[in-house]
This record gives sequence, structure tokens and C-alpha cells, in this order.
Amino acid sequence: MGSRALPILSSFKFKTRLSFASSSSYPLFLINNNPKIRNFSIKTRSSLQPPDVLRLAETARISLAPNEVEESAPKIRQVIEWFGQLQSVDLDSVEPAIRADTEGDNLREDVPEAFENKEALLASVPSYEEPYIKVPKVLNKE
Amino acid sequence: MLSTIQPPRCLSRIAVRGRTKSRSLHILSSAQSVTSASLIDHSQILSIRDSLLSRHLSAVQLTHSYLDRLKQTEPQIKSFLHVSDPDKVLKQAHEIDEKIKRNEEVGPLAGVLVAVKDNICTADMPSTGGSRILEGYRPPFDATAVKRLKNLGAIVVGKTNLDEFGMGSTTEASAFKVTANPWDLSRVPGGSSGGSAAAVSARQCVVSLGSDTGGSVRQPASFCGVVGLKPTYGRVSRFGLMAYASSLDVIGCLGSSVADTGILLHAISGHDTLDATSSKREVPDFTSQFTSASSLESRPLEGLRVGLIRETVDGGVDSGVKSAIQSAAAHLEQLGCILKEVSLPSFSLGLPAYYILASSESSSNLSRYDGVRYGSQASSDELNSLYKESRAKGFGPEVKMRILMGTYALSAGYYDAYYKRAQQVRTIIRKSFKAALDENDILISPAAPSAAYKIGEKKNDPLAMYAGDIMTVNVNMAGLPALVLPCGFVEGGAVGLPVGLQIIGAAFDEEKLLKVGHIFEQTLQGYNFVPPLDADGVFA
Repeated sequence: MGSRALPILSSFKFKTRLSFASSSSYPLFLINNNPKIRNFSIKTRSSLQPPDVLRLAETARISLAPNEVEESAPKIRQVIEWFGQLQSVDLDSVEPAIRADTEGDNLREDVPEAFENKEALLASVPSYEEPYIKVPKVLNKE
Repeated sequence: MLSTIQPPRCLSRIAVRGRTKSRSLHILSSAQSVTSASLIDHSQILSIRDSLLSRHLSAVQLTHSYLDRLKQTEPQIKSFLHVSDPDKVLKQAHEIDEKIKRNEEVGPLAGVLVAVKDNICTADMPSTGGSRILEGYRPPFDATAVKRLKNLGAIVVGKTNLDEFGMGSTTEASAFKVTANPWDLSRVPGGSSGGSAAAVSARQCVVSLGSDTGGSVRQPASFCGVVGLKPTYGRVSRFGLMAYASSLDVIGCLGSSVADTGILLHAISGHDTLDATSSKREVPDFTSQFTSASSLESRPLEGLRVGLIRETVDGGVDSGVKSAIQSAAAHLEQLGCILKEVSLPSFSLGLPAYYILASSESSSNLSRYDGVRYGSQASSDELNSLYKESRAKGFGPEVKMRILMGTYALSAGYYDAYYKRAQQVRTIIRKSFKAALDENDILISPAAPSAAYKIGEKKNDPLAMYAGDIMTVNVNMAGLPALVLPCGFVEGGAVGLPVGLQIIGAAFDEEKLLKVGHIFEQTLQGYNFVPPLDADGVFA
């Protein structure tokens, strides 16, 4: 049933179709019903470096075994290529929306409040030596 | 009876003293219960309240029957990661019975058994988020939504299974188990709130809480044949909900009837000082617009403008689903609705934009899981590798993948290309929904392009799984409320697989969704949305 869901990406009624030449089997589509985005500038994929999975893992502080890198790299690449279809949409005059609501923040007073259940908080700490949360040393990178 | 959405079979098969008497004696019952007889048929919560207050059932008896059923069905369904200690649960039920005996007030949810998705913090029970990195973790606080339910007398019966941190559509990404769909045990219940949906569907509890970031309450509701309600972003406090994508997450309600989800929503809604994104808007009484079927006029929704989203019934959608939605649309027309097709031009852009936003925000939100202050800690003699090893061992493959994709999208130089553009697409989607909802009172669509598929079918194909979210993600991007309720069946399983109709409303207009959903549900004939599990938890 996986292939049944795929045609959704391919069968919406659009006037033009852009397929990046790649090993990806998911064609990418433009929406042309909205006149605002009919004019577009094509930014090719090659202006952005493809994901370097090992470097990303380092940044995200997750160690990856070599077989994990091998398995996940093509999937990650595939999804990021799929993300790339946003490059081709004209969004020049569109304001980015941080989130959906239009209400503005409902901030509370900047007054500290004591949290009563400190014992339970500290009980969750894996390495605790009162009053310190213990961590191993930090090695300076060469 | 106009509707065939029946009360749970379990209560009639497991002998519970006084149950069959309660309906006929309702007319003579005490002044405390003011609900009409036929409304009780369509709300398990109101039926329970009526039975308890009229003393025809005790909370202890009710709790026993649900706990027995849970025990019998759980080996096959596996919806729970943690079940409360039965003694504690029965003690709470007993206290409710004592209060009723003394003619003291009990809350509107007294005796109602609720299951809570495991990414919502509960102080007296483990909360793992479906992840090994929080295995055994006990939060020091209750989520605000849980606190509010408990204050109204609800009994939390356990924590339900989910895809790890909400990332997935099947519960297959849970670190602990895969939940089965009560309609066909070889199929997925949907996700990420699969456990919560399956628990309600199998009548292991009365109602449940889930969370919805890209459809995670609505799609499992559709797959399991129950009602799922996603409130407007900001309607319910997110305090205590483990954050996945902070601009999209909401806590949602699941129940076996529209009225039950409305009552549950009412209980948990409202501003919370602990959540700056929670709205200060007044909460209407979500429990007050449920008229009983017998008092409805012949065309109770006369003049209601309904827009069927064209892009959701195009190719790529299962023909069985399409025809169920078309029947549902025809049913709405019979109720007096004016039906139109509407087009949302940016519809399909929403899916990649959603995954960019969700991956990016989750890569930031999940950086707190570092093994230092809580959760599983790997052993290491150096800090950096402590982080890396704890996270490598604690996170599952889907979570790791999304963190890496999010890290990429937010990297210096790529923010403009991905995250910012996704934010801009969000603006386009918000505007197009607003325009459509200016012309129509509600919009309708399927909740998913298919009914429940087999366990394992989409596990290795991320884009195929993501594609299934096309019906739901745009609603999260726009922050709108949506209700999914069962409207028909497709072929599959022993008696067919349920299909849900999604009804989308304007921001903060949950009242309209509940009103329309309730009338639709009450007037829908010829369907039984209780899965064929008998009292032994075995399929008929």
C-alpha cells in the first residue's frame, strides 16, 4: 500500500512538473494555481551541499555506527531532496509565520516561583552527589 | 434508537449489577442528573454519571468491568506501556462511591477511566515518551491537562503506547512495542497516538488523551473507528506535553462519541500561566450543544456551508475511502448542508514544509535529552561522548533521522533555504484556509488516504509513510481545530476497516465542529463502530 500513497505526490492537478534528475523516484511538483507563485526562479540543488551525515551527527551529539550511517544516509538524502521543492516556489513577498496563532504572547509576570517537589526532581538525576549533578570531565579538542 | 453507535458491549456481557435497570429507572432518578435519556445513549461519560448518581452502578463495579476488559484484551492489543496499580485505581473509585453515598458533590468526570498518551507527564507513573532515553523516568509534576482531569474526578488508568516522541504514524517507532488495531490485529492502529486510539476502540477505557502535531490524534481515530478531536493551537495548555514541534503540538481528545470528546475538551481547555502559547480566550461550554436525536428537526443543519477539499479526494486516495467520504457528504446534504468543492492551492506544499518545520523544531527540542539531569545515561569518562553515547543508545532510528534532518535544515547557510521558506509556506497555508473558511462554515476531507494498513508495510519507506499525513498536516500548520469521526467502512479485517471523516473549522470554533459532528453521528444509520471483540478479548 506504500505505492498507493505515493501517487498523491504526483497526481494533484498542476500545470507544470519539475523533476530533478536524480536517483530519487519521487517527482517534485510545482503549484501553479496561485498567480502569486507562477513566476519562479530556479535554484538548483547544487548550490546547497548535500548532507554530510557524520558531521550532522557530531553537531547533534549523537554517535552513529558505520552501518547506521550507511543505512540512514540515503534515506536522509532522499528526504532532503524532497524538501528541496520549496526552493522553486516564489515566496519573496510572503512573511514567515513563527506559529499559527495571531494572538501574541501571553507572558506571565517575571517573578520566580519555587517548585515544591525538588526531591522528585533530584531523584531523576542519574549521577548526583549533593549538591552537584555530576558529569565527566570535558576534554579540550585538539 | 436512531444511531447504531452502541454502548460498549463489554458492559452488557460482563455481569454488572444494576446496569440493565439503570435506563428504565432513569425517569425516577434523582434531581442531580439532568441529562435526557437519549443523550445518555450517545455519551459514555454522561451515562456513567447518570448511573453513578442514581446509584444503579457503583464506581467500583464500573472500574472492575473496565479493568477486567483491559486485562483480557491487552495481550492482543498492547495499547498500554504502563497500567496503574489496580488497587490504587479501585481505591479512587471507592472514594467516589463514598462521596456519592454522603450526597457530596462529585466532579463531572467522577469515575471516568482515562488513558493518557505516554508523552504527557504524569507524576505518579512513568512517562517515557515511547523512548528508551526516558525508560523508567517519573516526572515530578503532572501535565496541566492531566491535573485538570484529576481535579474533576477522572481516574487515570494507564499510559498508552506511541511512536517515539510522537514521530511516526503507526506506533512501530515505539521503543517498546507495537500496538495492534482492534479491528484487525495484523494492522496498525495509526499513530502517533495509536495506543490511545486503540484503548478507546477496544473499550479498555472511556476516553483518552493524545497529542497531535501532524495528525497524530486524527489519523489513529480514523484507523480505529473512534472520535478524535484536535483543538485549536493554544486552546489547551502544552505544559507537561513532551515537546516535539512546539509551534505545531497540541493535546487532543479521543472518545467513542463526539459528545465525550467535547466533554473531555472542556475539562482540559483554558489558559495556563505555565504555557505562554495558551490562549486567554474564554472557553465556551463545549458540553452544552448536544441535542438529542429525537428533538432534531428534519434538516437540523439547514444552510450550513460545507467545503469538500478537492485536493483530498483526487487520485492517490483509496477508492473505498473516497466513496465513504462521498456518502458522508451526501449525508450532510440530507441534513440541510450546502455542499461545495473548494480548492486549496498550496495544499501539497504543506507536506514538505511540515516535515522541515517538525524536524527542525524537534532537533532543537530533543537536545535536552542528554543523559545528565534525567533519563538513561551511558557510561563515559568524557562529557561529549557521554552526550553522544546516551543519545545514540536512547533514541530510536526514526528519531535520530529526524534530528539529523532538522540539524541540516537549521545549519548556518541553510536556514533561509529550508526553515524560513517552510515558515513562509505556513503563512500561505494559513491564508488559504482562512479564505476557504470565510466562504464556508466548515471544510471536510478524509483523515487519511487509506484505512489501516498492515504492520510492517511502510516501515522502511519514510516518504511513503510521510505521504499518508497529507490530509492532516496542513491543519496543524494553520493551527486550526479539526474533528474526525467514523463515517463508514472499507473492505479488510473480519468485518471491514473503519474510515473517518475529518471536519475542519475556523480557529477556536470547536463548538461548531462538535455540533455538526454530534448531529452527523446521531443521524448516521446502519453502522456499528464497536470492533468485534467479545468479553474474552477474542475476535468473534
